[in-house]
This record gives sequence, C-alpha cells and structure tokens, in this order.
Amino acid sequence: MGRSKRLSTVEAALRVLAYLAAHPEGLEAGQVARMLGKSLSTAYALLASLVAEGFAEREGASYRVSKTALAPTAPAPKAQHFERLQDALEELYLRTRERVYLALLTPEGKLHLATRGRQGLPKPEGLEGQVKEAFYAFALGKAVLAFLPEDELIRQVEELRPLTPYTLTDPLALREELERVRQMGFAVELEEYALGLSGLAAPLFGSDGQVIGSLGVVVPSRRFPYAFTRLLRAVQETSFPGFDRGLGPASQGVPVRPGSPSPTPLPSPTKPPIKTLEPAEEWADESLRKAANLQDYRSTYRRSLRDPEGFWAEWAKRFHWFEPWRKVQELNLPFHRWFVGGKTNLAYNALDRHAASPRRNQLALVALSGDGQTHKLTYRELLDRAARLASALKRLGIEAGDRVAVYVPTGLEAALAMLACARIGAVHVLVPAGLGAAALRERLEDTEAKLLIAADRVYQAGQAVSLSGLVEEAVQGLETRVLWHRRGSTPRPLEFWSVLEAERTLAPAEPLESEHPLFILYTSGSTGKPKGVVHVHGGYMIGTTYHLRQLYDLKDGETLWSTADLSWIVGHAYGLYAPLLEGLTTVLREEKLSYPDPSAFYETLGELGVNVLVTSPYWLRTLRRYGAEWAAQADLSSLRLVASVGEYLAPEVWQWTHTYLKTFVIDNWWQTETGAPTLGTPLCEPTRPGEVGLPLPGVEAKVVDAEGHELAAGQKGHLVLPQPFPHFMRGLWNNPEGYRALWERIPGCYATGDLAVRDEAGYIILLGRSDDVIKAGEQRIGTAEIEGVLVSHPAVAEAAAVGVPDAEQGEAIKVYVVLRSKEASPEVQEVLAQKLSAHLRRQLGPLAVPAEVVFLDRLPRTKSGKILRRLLKARELGADAGDLSTLEE
Amino acid sequence: MELKQLLRQKETFPASEVLREGANLQDFAGEYRRSLEDPEGFWGDWAGRFHWYAPWEKVLEWNFPEHRWFVGGKTNVCYNAVDRHAGGPKRNQVALLFIGEDGSEQKLTYSELQDRVSRLATGLRRLGVQTGDRVVIYMPLTLEGVIAMLACARLGAIHSVVYAGLGVSALRERILDTRAKVVIAGDVSYRRGKAVDLRSIVEQATEDLPLEALIWFQRGTRAELGEREWDFQELLWSHSPVTEAVPVEAEHPLFILYTSGSTGKPKGVVHVHGGYMAGITYHLRTFFDAKDTDVFWSTSDIGWIVGHSYIVYAPLLEGLTSVLREGAPDYPTPGILWQLVERHRVNVMFTAPTAVRMFMKFGPEWPSKADLSSLRLLTVAGEPLNPEAWQWAWEHLADSGKRAFVADNWWQTELGGPTLGTPLTHPAKPGAAGVALPGVEAAIVNPEGQEVPAGQGGLLVLKRPFPHMMRTVWGNPERYAQYWRELPGEVYAAGDVASRDEDGYFTVLGRADDVLNVAGHRIGTADVESALVSHPAVAEAAVIGVPDPLKGENIKAFVVLRAGQHKSETLIDAMIAHVRRELGPIATPGELVILDKLPKTRSGKILRRLLKAQELGRDPGDLSTLEE
Repeated sequence: MGRSKRLSTVEAALRVLAYLAAHPEGLEAGQVARMLGKSLSTAYALLASLVAEGFAEREGASYRVSKTALAPTAPAPKAQHFERLQDALEELYLRTRERVYLALLTPEGKLHLATRGRQGLPKPEGLEGQVKEAFYAFALGKAVLAFLPEDELIRQVEELRPLTPYTLTDPLALREELERVRQMGFAVELEEYALGLSGLAAPLFGSDGQVIGSLGVVVPSRRFPYAFTRLLRAVQETSFPGFDRGLGPASQGVPVRPGSPSPTPLPSPTKPPIKTLEPAEEWADESLRKAANLQDYRSTYRRSLRDPEGFWAEWAKRFHWFEPWRKVQELNLPFHRWFVGGKTNLAYNALDRHAASPRRNQLALVALSGDGQTHKLTYRELLDRAARLASALKRLGIEAGDRVAVYVPTGLEAALAMLACARIGAVHVLVPAGLGAAALRERLEDTEAKLLIAADRVYQAGQAVSLSGLVEEAVQGLETRVLWHRRGSTPRPLEFWSVLEAERTLAPAEPLESEHPLFILYTSGSTGKPKGVVHVHGGYMIGTTYHLRQLYDLKDGETLWSTADLSWIVGHAYGLYAPLLEGLTTVLREEKLSYPDPSAFYETLGELGVNVLVTSPYWLRTLRRYGAEWAAQADLSSLRLVASVGEYLAPEVWQWTHTYLKTFVIDNWWQTETGAPTLGTPLCEPTRPGEVGLPLPGVEAKVVDAEGHELAAGQKGHLVLPQPFPHFMRGLWNNPEGYRALWERIPGCYATGDLAVRDEAGYIILLGRSDDVIKAGEQRIGTAEIEGVLVSHPAVAEAAAVGVPDAEQGEAIKVYVVLRSKEASPEVQEVLAQKLSAHLRRQLGPLAVPAEVVFLDRLPRTKSGKILRRLLKARELGADAGDLSTLEE
Repeated sequence: MELKQLLRQKETFPASEVLREGANLQDFAGEYRRSLEDPEGFWGDWAGRFHWYAPWEKVLEWNFPEHRWFVGGKTNVCYNAVDRHAGGPKRNQVALLFIGEDGSEQKLTYSELQDRVSRLATGLRRLGVQTGDRVVIYMPLTLEGVIAMLACARLGAIHSVVYAGLGVSALRERILDTRAKVVIAGDVSYRRGKAVDLRSIVEQATEDLPLEALIWFQRGTRAELGEREWDFQELLWSHSPVTEAVPVEAEHPLFILYTSGSTGKPKGVVHVHGGYMAGITYHLRTFFDAKDTDVFWSTSDIGWIVGHSYIVYAPLLEGLTSVLREGAPDYPTPGILWQLVERHRVNVMFTAPTAVRMFMKFGPEWPSKADLSSLRLLTVAGEPLNPEAWQWAWEHLADSGKRAFVADNWWQTELGGPTLGTPLTHPAKPGAAGVALPGVEAAIVNPEGQEVPAGQGGLLVLKRPFPHMMRTVWGNPERYAQYWRELPGEVYAAGDVASRDEDGYFTVLGRADDVLNVAGHRIGTADVESALVSHPAVAEAAVIGVPDPLKGENIKAFVVLRAGQHKSETLIDAMIAHVRRELGPIATPGELVILDKLPKTRSGKILRRLLKAQELGRDPGDLSTLEE
C-alpha cells in the first residue's frame, strides 16, 4: 500500500506550489519536506526544479512562488485555435525544436499519424507502417489507450503483439501502466520503444472530454534527463489548451488522480520476539486434545529417531505397494533413499484405492474456478478423468520419466495434470500461472520438458488475464509442445478438455520404483538460478500423509482447504496429494482470497463445511486487518483447526485467529526442500504463540553456529537438520553440486537457511532468512532473480534487492539501482522507478508484489565483489550492520 | 368363471453366478419363511438399523383393517436419511446427483444436503409450518424438489407431492383435499429443450385459496412476488441451518400421495415415518441388491411413489448416491440414458416398462454405443412387462444376463415398495412379475374369496399388512376400509387380475377393470398385449373390450409400430394372425388399429379407460394424470 501514498513528481510539484502560494511570506525547504512527508533532499530537488522552471523564487533559505507565475495569465487560447490539430503539432515543434508527433484516432479506431521535425533527427520506425501493432509501444499510443473507454480498450489491447522485449504485452502490466498514465496525465517511454530513444506524450481531448489522439515528442535518451521537464511542459501546454495558465494548483489540464481509498491503518509491524520472558502457553480445548490423532508426542518422537526404519515402515504399510521394499532407508549422506526396491504409485494410492472402497462416491475434490464454475468430483470421477488424461498424455508421447510442465492456475485441470503425470510416471513441473515468460522458459529449458500444459488465461480479481502471449513467448523455438487449457474463445491446436473427452482408454497406474521422481518444483535460491527441488513417489507419499494425520489432525470424512496455490509446495502436499491419499475432500480455489472481499472466503468455509484450513500468516493478517465483523457473520461451525505455514506467525495474529475464527491454530514450519511440516506444535502439546514449536516426529533439528556447533538455549544461530527423512528432497534437478552445497554450508547437516533460537522447553523460534531470499506475501523470491531482471533493463547498470519488514506482506522488496546514466533528474528517477517496478512485474509475472526502487550512485560491495545486501538491509532498518570488515571502501 | 392365462412362458433365465453369489439376500426361502412366521422379530430387526429417539413398545398392532407398526417408537425419516450420514464418514459422499437435460450436473453431499434441508426447514417453520401441517409440493424433478420433501419430513409436516405436469384442476383438488397451508412450486420444468410453464397452472390452481405461503422455485424469469409469496432460494439462504429433525411417532404421517388414477378419482394414500422407512430400505437392500457404494438411478419422478421411495427416501436412508434427471428420456438423443449410465457408472437402474418399450423402438444400437459395464441390475415396475420387452432388455441392456439381471417387480402407491418381484436368487420368467417378497403373503382368489389352483387366473390379494403399506386414504377412511372389504376373507384387494404358477411366480394380467370377457372366457389384457408386442413390427399395444352382441365382448387392439415399420393392411392381418397363433382363436382381436402413440398416464401407464371411453363415446372420468 506504500505505492498509493507515493506522489508522482508532478503531483508533488503541484502540492509544493500550492503550499508556497498559501505562504507568501516564504517557506524553507525543511517545511516543504515535512509537508510532503519526504526527505529534505527531495524537497530541495523539487524546489530547485521549480526555481529553474521559473515557477518559484529563492531568497536566502526561503522559497516563494514566482510573481510571474502568480500573475494573471493571458486568456486561454480559443478552441478554434486548435481546430486544426496540425497547428498544435507545429506549435509543439516550434517550442521544442525536436521531432514531434501527432496521433489522431480515426473513426475506425486506428491512429492517424503526423510528424514534424528537423531533418536528420530520429524517426522511430514501425510507427508509420503498422500503426495498429505499434501504437501501444510508443508513448503516443499509450496516452491514447489510457483514456479509451473500457470496451474499446479491451478491443485494442487484444491485438497487441510484442514489438521489442520491452513492450508491454502482458495485460496486467499494461493495465497498471495505463493507470499510471491516467494519474500523471502523460506517458513516457524510456528506451523501451527503441534503444537510444525516449519519448513523452500527452492525450488530446475532444470537446466532450473523449480522447481524440495524442501529441508527443521523441528525443535521444541521452538528452532526455536534462530535457524532461522542459519537454513535459511543452507537451502538456500544447495538448491541454488551458494549461498555459501555469503549472498552478488550479490547473485544469492535468486529470486529477482519483482519490484512492486510504487503507485501514495497519497493525504495527510485528517482529519476532527474540527473547520472550515468559511465553504464554495455550492449550487446545480438551475435546480437541482428547480426540487428537497424535496423543503422545514425546514417545512418538523418541521412537521416530531411535528406530526410523520401523517408524516409517509402519506408516508406509497403510498404502498399496505393487512390490514390497527390501530396505526402508539407505543413507549415503547427503544422498538418501527410502523403501528401496519397493514399487508403488502415488496416484494409485490417491485414487484407485479409494474408488474401489466405500469412498467411491465421496467427493475427492471441490474446485472453485475463477470463471465462477464449481467442479465437484468424486473419487470415482477423479480417477476416471485422471486415467483418461494419462492415456492421452501417453498418446502424445509422454513416457515414464519425461518432464511435463504445468502452467495452469489452481483448479481441477491443474490437479488432473498432476495426477495424470504421476499415474504414468511422468515428472510434473508446476510453474505458477502468471510467472513471467523468461522464468517459464528457463524452467522448460532446465527440465527439457516435452510438454507444457498451459492455460490461456487466469482469473484475477474478476478479470480474465491472458497468458497466451507469455506462453507463446516462452516456448518460442523450443521443442516443447503445448496442451492448452482453453478458457478464452480463441481455439487452440491441442486442447486439454477435447483431448481428455475424446479419450476412451483409461491408463492404468504404472508400478514405479519408490524412488521414481514425482515432481520438480522450483524454489528461489540465494545464489543465482532457482533450484529444481526433486521429490519422489514413495517417501513423499509417506511423509506428507503422516503429518496430515498427526499434525493437521484430519479425520476420515473431513474437508481440508489449503489456500496455497497448487504450484507451491503447500499446494502440492496439502491442496492435492495428502488429502487424496488419505481419502478426504480437498478444496481448490483459483480466485484471490480477498476478492471481492473476505466474505467470499468465509462463504467458502461455511458452504463447503471446511474442517481444517491450511493457510498462510499473510492471509490471517489480512483477515485481521479486514476486521472481526466479517468473521462474526460467517458460518464457522465446521471449522476445527487452522494450520499456519509459510512465515512467522505473530502472537497477535495467533490470538486473533483463535478468538475470531473460533478455532485452535497450529503453527508449523517447512520448506519446498523438506516436503511437509518439519517443525510445529502438535495438538497434544501446549502452543507458544510466536514460536513455531517442536521438531516433528522423524525430524532432528538443531540450532548451530557457523561451524556446526550446537548452541545453548536462547542463543541465536542457524537452523539445521542433521538427518533426512522420507519426504526430504532427493536432490536438485540437473544440479548435484547445488544439492551437495546445501549440506556443506554447515558441516555435517542440511542448512535450512533460516536463523532460529531454541527456548528452554525446546521450542524453536524462527528469526528469518540467513540467505538472500525475500518472502513477500506468499511468495519466495530470490534476490538474485530480481537483480537479474533489473540489470536486463537498458537503463540499469547494477542492482541489489533486499527484503525489508512489511506489516502486510511480511517482507517487501526494496531494490537499489545504479543507473547507466549518472545524471538523472528527480523527475526522471521517479518515472524510472515506476518503470522498473513494471519491468519487474512483467518479467517475474503479474503476481509479483510491487517493489520500491531506490537509486544509488554505487552499491556497497565486499572486497571479493559480492554485493553487501546485509549492509543495505541494516541501513534500511537502522540496525547494526554487523561485521563490515570485508566492505570495500 | 375362470380367467384364462393364455400366454405360456417356457423359458427361465437365472442371474449370473457372480450376481447370485454377490447378492445381499442369499437364503430367500429362509428369510421369507421367517418374515411370515415372525413378522415382528423380522421387521423389528431391520428397523434396528435406524436411529430411534425412543424405542417402540410393540412392532405390530393389527386391528383389521387398521395396522400400526413400531408403536410408541419415535423417529424421523429425514434424520435417518440425512443427518445420520452427514455426521459420519459419508459426510462428503455425494447423496444426490442432478442431471439436467442440457447436461448440467449438480451434486449435493450428505453434509450439504443437511445444510440445505435444515435451512429450508428453518424458513418453513418461520412461515408457520408445524408438525402435522400439509405442504403441497409441485416441483420439477430437481434437487430443490427433494430438499422441499426432506424439509417437510424434518419438521414432521406432511408433504403431498403433485407431479409437476398435472393440470390446474388436479393440483387445486389436491390442495383442497389436503387442506395444505403452504404450496412449494416451480415456475418451469424443462423437457425436450423447452421450458414448460408451471407458473400459470399454479397461479390458477391457487386462486382465492387461503394459503399461508406460496414458495416459488424460480428458474425462468423471476416474477414480482406478491404478499405471502416467497422465493425458494431466498427463503433457504436467508435462514440458518439450525433446525433439527423433530422426533415424531413412528405412525406420524410422512406424506400423502395421490394415486395416478388409472381407475377413477385419485385417492390420497398416506404413508408414515416408521414403517415406510423400514420397509422400503429392506427391499432396497434385498430386492434391488444395493451395495454401499452404488450409484442408484430410478428414472421415475418425485411425483410418483417410485420417486418417493427409490429416488428420495430409500437410497438416502441407506447412504447411496441417487441420480435424478430432469427431462425426456430420449432427449437430446435416444442414447442419452446409456451415455449417462456410462458417465456416472450407474450400478442399479429402476425404470418402467413403457421406457423399455421405448428403448426397443429406438433399437439396440443406442445402448450398444455406451459402456454399460457398471450396470448390474435393471429393475422394471409400473405395469406388466411384456416378455418381448423383457427379452430385449435382457439381450441388449444386460448382455444376455452375463453382466446384469433384469428384475420385474410389481407394487402400487398403496404398497410403498416392491411386493412381488424376481430377486437375484430366482430365475426370471419373462412376463411374470415374480414371487411374493419377504413380508408379503399374496394369493389369487376368485370373487368369492376362494383361492384358485395354480395356473388359474383370479384376483390378486394380500393376506396381511406389512410396515410400508398405506395407513389410510387421506380424509376417507371408508375408502381405505374398502380395499380390505371388497373381497371376503379380510384380504387387501389389489385390484389387479393375476395368476400364480406352480413355482409361486405371479403373472399380473392387468387391472381387474380391464379384464376382457370374450364369449365367456375371461382374458387378461396383458396376455393379448404381450402377444402383440412379440410381433417384430410392434412397439407397444393396448387392448380393450368393446360390447359385442354375440361374444359379450370383442377384443379391439391398438398398436404402435416400431421405427421403420409402415402401416398396411397386410401387416394388420399378419399381426392378428400372430396373436391367433400365440393365444388361440378366443383371444384373437376382432379389430386392430394402428396409432402413433397410446394415451398414457404421466407415470407411463396405458390409459385403457380412455381408449374405451373414446370407443364407446363415454365420459372417460378423471384424466388429470393423462400425459399430453
């Protein structure tokens, strides 16, 4: 929400002028800074530019409005002055002496272009020839698009095709960009249209206020920073006839930004208490505790470590094995294998087993699609559809071991794709629908996926967002075939449902080695490229179900709703596999939880009779912010437990959830790498809100120093796991060194990358990441990933990204950027900051959270050249930066 | 005066070994014996499966002609059908699967069903509906129709479902007869892709009636609602699911259902919570052989007794998945039913002879296109199933018995559940409904009440009541007593003529009113009709007797031809010759007419009464149930 509080430079300038006008006695820069809520340097920069432009005067330390600016202006030019818009073009040219353009909308919805300029100056190509394709690319076009009526806009946007790597084709990014244009009243292109060229344009309005075209100017980028203010003024004054009365507060020319609703004040950011004096203990209600599946944590835990083979084998017997295993565990650290020699199939255990049991007609899955449809499938039906799809995949040439990427939003189709792959031993790779084309392509290349199952659109806040452009861009030139889950009206060559419905053969579940890979799931690493975490059929099945029953305490006949996206590890384990393996009913929902308001979330809870909710602290915080009155109206009679996973759950949020959702809350911690809950507080033990809890059965967890020495209670250190367990990842795809490295950072154990402290009772408190991963909202983003995207922008020389605490998101992304061009005016910086934010979104996907951009002259680095993010973060938090011995001066 | 059973069926068809060995009821003879020797122990054991708020003191109190079961016990059918499962492991099992003609599907789990039923019950209670009040339900075959029935049962209110398709006077007559406080009605039903207007029928039927509320289930255009009018969905969703099932006496009326009236003025048959629940579920398990995970599809409508017992109550009471489909069985294609059997893996299907004859008319290519491997049992009831139709179903729907069994059965609105039938343990005799089922003591008597020897035709009577037999005729106890007093010997007269063979199989020959008297010989209409249907050109047939100065009555036959057959004099002659060959000269029709379709009741029974009335220029009587 930080964004909405930020003023554009023009608005800031307007406010400063208004403030100065109200204080003819003169104001100092400090007063202006306070009024704006910005830094002194920002105030100085604004004031300096106002003086330079002649709007303000400086006298000693005080500033006042220029007398000329306040003087009555010449009467506004008559409307007929612009009867022939060519005159405007001429006027702009005369004022700027640059290459200027006029774009006029024809009745057919095309742009009619006219240009005027000195010879020899750049003439952007592509504008003349294929106006329609290109017009969005140039500032001129954007200025038109921004003010078109919604239906007309949709029509135009549908025809967009990428022209350069920087043109906006992603509708969400474009929409946001257009919103920005509307707010500022002008459009800017910074080298995004063509390298070396920047442009600026403002819309032209007809007498009825409708957009009729736009007027703009193009200059070489190197001159742009200096010329920006002058050009902007020229363009605006020429395109808004009333504008030349001055850039005063009364200016009618600039469309005023619609008042954005101010969000409810957030609860103050909660930080993990490093030392709690007397942690409050909360016990679950006696009825819950008495009925808990896990009654005696301590002896179970002891047994799981003393006799891991016996412990896990007992649980594994619940499932169907085509062939029994010879050995439960084979350790060769860091490598480990489980149920060696056994043959099974996770999909068989998740579907066939139940379809032939009394659960045959029980609902396996309820999927709430973003288009408003609800799919309810019984085990029998889900088996039927998954087996048909599996057979269809075989017909497409997919065999056991082949990788299949899935780029489909959470819902029935994604679930079927996963189950069908598992059925025939294909390895699925889920990529969050909406993730940028580059990231998708990278995953396709890394896994050498034979097939990509992709949706052509997702639904976000009631809007259909097209993905087809992203998909087409990502697969361009690759061998990967695309099987489309078509939701739009454009027919596709190979469509999910037509292939499935035409298929009459039901593929049987393939007996697979228990160590056969089930899926690859990418997670952000601290160093460079995202890592492809590999999980396998046997151990993953055993571990995820164990914790479903013993930690999440699910009973037969219950409904589980895991709100995580299916493409995240929580979605894999608790949105789909574990509940199906255990014969429960699972709920999948595509739409944002908060859309259109939290009542939709509460209604889903009530109408589907959800018994256990697995969700994120982020969402619980959001619910708390919406207020208890929403919860008070909800039917929460079925809800028995809430499990919170993904990041730190503050005691206040624990209490709020406990009080207003009227359930007990189970905190737990795990990672993509660990597959299922690793630390947590089972129902039979008291909960200490704010502390994740105890190592769960099968898990040995230690807090150690950098050398691997175990630390005493109360001492802060690295959280490590000395032993793997069945559902612990088997490796990193294509990257055995990367996997090994995870076990070598701290000698003799797997380093989770999290900092933690253990209290006297053995409860673990997590303190945050020790490496460079930002947890923003429900997403985990590697700093390296963000930085890579930033430096791909032509304006950026280098960049560093850090996560800073944010009350709403957990962490917010802050990026530090060093520009190629050293002299960027504050105005340009402001615009660039917004452009870079949009660029990030475009590349990382429309689902990424907005980032705050800060410009620096240089980044702090270690002597070995590594960026010292720690220092940036410490500065941000005003904290001690720690050991800076390696800082390069 | 003896009734001749002319058609002799020689062949018998046993169920496959797999089906027989898997049958829920293995020792039929032992079970049957016990049911008659110790009815109280027998039914008491079965009723113990259900939840009783208070146990009964006595299983049976039999004061001719009144019978009461589970006396003193308190229960509630809705609780047993819904709450019992919603609170157990079947919570998320699909209870009801609705299929629209357009292919749309809606599922309700037991837990969701409980939620909806409880909400509606809260709403109804808010409108003043109390235990014992009557509520008329005029709803298309939809989930909402079932929810309405269950919500009434939950409150102990008595529902009276009127088939949504009956006309203004029939509906009005039933509202008046039951003195219903509240009417729950649909605005449209969908059939053959078209919306059929129900609203105007309801509006006319309820004009000036002192109803306390009229609840509209609106799927067409939402109308402006007047005073005391409510929208079904709004009423449901604006109330909380807080209404628990009301414990009622076992003998508390559950519903009033008017018989479809192939014989004169409709009668409001009354069934009660306790006995009805016990009886229909017994037969679901032992006759329909339902397993816990079965998908059960009864193609009837909630407007008929088959729909009450085997779409709604018995499958839900036993925790199955019940299918309901709105619309015509041959729309959009003649194969749609079989596609749906494949899609939903239906295990047991219950349909009517008229539907089987219709499938026959379309030909075997339709079922052969679908994978019917899930279908284990096809049961047929409603009127006599001609041997020809039985054979066709056996061959084309049951894979000649290798995969499934075709079980005929006979019962009535008055009897609540199957009474005669062919269980899996017994070989089928095409044309014969089957043997008396457990709890049933049936006999064939002459008009003097004396039993006739095996092989001879006579009047079908039941010699004792069973739990799911009607308790009375609403507002007309005399009419009820008449069932038991029509014939001497304290027996229930079913009103049908039938015969029994040496093996105890009953063949129902037709309504007693429809029996022909040709030259002193009493001939069942079913015999002649079956003989006609066995001719390859004939899809359906109906025969009536027309006065003949010489023979007393002469047989007149009406025939509908199979697809592809053309009307010709030669064909008519051939068909008459065929009947003569099959039945002999006495039963040969004197006249044969080819029609495009036969007049039927909405539940698919041939209205011979109308044919006869038209023939003789007489008043056909109440035609409210006539299918247009």
